Amino acid sequence: MKNRTLIYLVVLLLGGTLISCKEKEGEYHSISDKIEAESKPYHGNLTSDELLVDTELIKITEGENTFLIPERKSQIKSFACIECHSKPLSEMAGTDIQKAHWDIKLSHANGDAMNCATCHNGSNMNNLNSLTGKDIDFNLSYKICSQCHSNQFEDWKGGAHGKKVAGWAPPRASNTCVNCHNPHSPSFEKRWPVQFNTKTAIERNEGLDH
Amino acid sequence: MSDNKKWYSLDLGLNNKKESSGTCGCGKTEGSCNSSPKEEELSADEFYEAAINASIGEERHRDGFEQVFDVKMDRRSAFKKLTASLLIGAGAVTTSCSVTTGSDTKEKAQIDWEEQFKGNYKLMTDEEKQGTINRLMRSYELRTHKKINMTAENAAEDVLFGYAFNISKCQGYMNCVSACVEENNQDRNSEMQYIRIHEMKDGEGFKFNKADDNYYHEVPAEGHFYMGTQCFHCDNPPCVEVCPVQATWKEEDGLVVIDYDWCVGCRYCMAACPYDGRRFNWSKPEVPEQEVNKNQHYLGNRMRKKGVMEKCTFCVQRTRKGKNPACVEACPTGARIFGNLLDPDSTIRWVLENKKVFRLKEDLGTEPKFWYFMD
Repeated sequence: MKNRTLIYLVVLLLGGTLISCKEKEGEYHSISDKIEAESKPYHGNLTSDELLVDTELIKITEGENTFLIPERKSQIKSFACIECHSKPLSEMAGTDIQKAHWDIKLSHANGDAMNCATCHNGSNMNNLNSLTGKDIDFNLSYKICSQCHSNQFEDWKGGAHGKKVAGWAPPRASNTCVNCHNPHSPSFEKRWPVQFNTKTAIERNEGLDH
Repeated sequence: MSDNKKWYSLDLGLNNKKESSGTCGCGKTEGSCNSSPKEEELSADEFYEAAINASIGEERHRDGFEQVFDVKMDRRSAFKKLTASLLIGAGAVTTSCSVTTGSDTKEKAQIDWEEQFKGNYKLMTDEEKQGTINRLMRSYELRTHKKINMTAENAAEDVLFGYAFNISKCQGYMNCVSACVEENNQDRNSEMQYIRIHEMKDGEGFKFNKADDNYYHEVPAEGHFYMGTQCFHCDNPPCVEVCPVQATWKEEDGLVVIDYDWCVGCRYCMAACPYDGRRFNWSKPEVPEQEVNKNQHYLGNRMRKKGVMEKCTFCVQRTRKGKNPACVEACPTGARIFGNLLDPDSTIRWVLENKKVFRLKEDLGTEPKFWYFMD
């Protein structure tokens, strides 16, 4: 008889804990559990299509990633290059024609490692030139950059490097290297911040800030 | 009076305009309608004044013992106080009774009444949400003669917003801060900013007490790195926990939002937030009319008032439409990555799975949805 009451008590206690543990708050142990549990099956239906209509895009596939990048050739003012570069560069050099590209100053790696011909092909100006002399389309100029910047390339493919063109929603459209970096001078320049909080500065001067 | 509402609606005669001089729009012929024929119209300021008079009266002009000793409460002043309190309740009614008041004023009074007694946004049905944003849009139009576009979009299905910040990329240009101020109609007088960019010394790690978040020199400065903080939209937000009136909560898509009309301004949430993510309006927020961002969301960048909390909402007015938050769009270095944590193909998921990410004060168990990483 005593044993039975004890069993009843234990069952009741167990049941009680089970029920009380089932609150909604503690549904997931951590955010990663939540992400894993709630992302399948995934059927989000928002898209950035509308935000992308004004940008001309091309689809590329690199490794496992397929995404859109902005089309480049139509954005280069002096394209097509052969409109001026009708002859190979070696034949044009020294002739009495108007100087061009005077505004371009190469500050990319050092002169021993790189010069114009590292990326441009003097006898075929309409295309870029890989390190082994293969043609690379101007639209796919990231292939030039990725020859040296392999870490950045990996990050860019995955989405850790490089800005999105418009929204977060699919389809993914990411800027390509030259949309943010000037290939002739790729690093960002020093400049003044665009914002300064005068109120915080005053508070700090008066010692009001904690 | 419309049915299916949680509060009593005043009908200020907008729907039956014919009734005029003899009887009032409210249909009564006695009481407040006739008792004060002189008060034809109460402007917002007068209304406010009357409300204060009714509650504390002359006490606010007096100080110390005067409040106790120097009170002449004759019959006249007693009546005056009574009338004042009547005026609050009947202010709108008085407006409706006046022959000289324009229909705009009546409409405004009616909107004010409905807005005053609406419920918590969190508990509203979709129609009620639509109702309140319609009133707010109309009210803005009546006050400024300019139109705004406000939405009450709910969280989309299968969306959980997350954010990643690349510490190696940020150069401290602060384009994000100014874009945020413009996008979210933050008060220009107090220079409120949701985002802080901290300039930290190389080799010292995250030392917020030593960092400077209000630098003004050429950046990036030698020997320093930069990192930004804002509301992290915790999955287990302590600010929500402490709110005594449930004016702040976590939405289905993970955004921690505030109903500015339900907030009582106690600032418990500000104290509870371990990340300094929340801001308080000590004064009436002001934005020059031509700078007001007119694409608004009820929970986002609509105009706030004095004495309420606000904070980063991941630009709910943009992100629920598929856009990136303004800071992400403005960042010139691509240090900011935003996306849907539930989409296995999203870039934010790639970052979380492939980069070495960490969050601030992870041991608190707040589960921020804002990760930092390096190249």
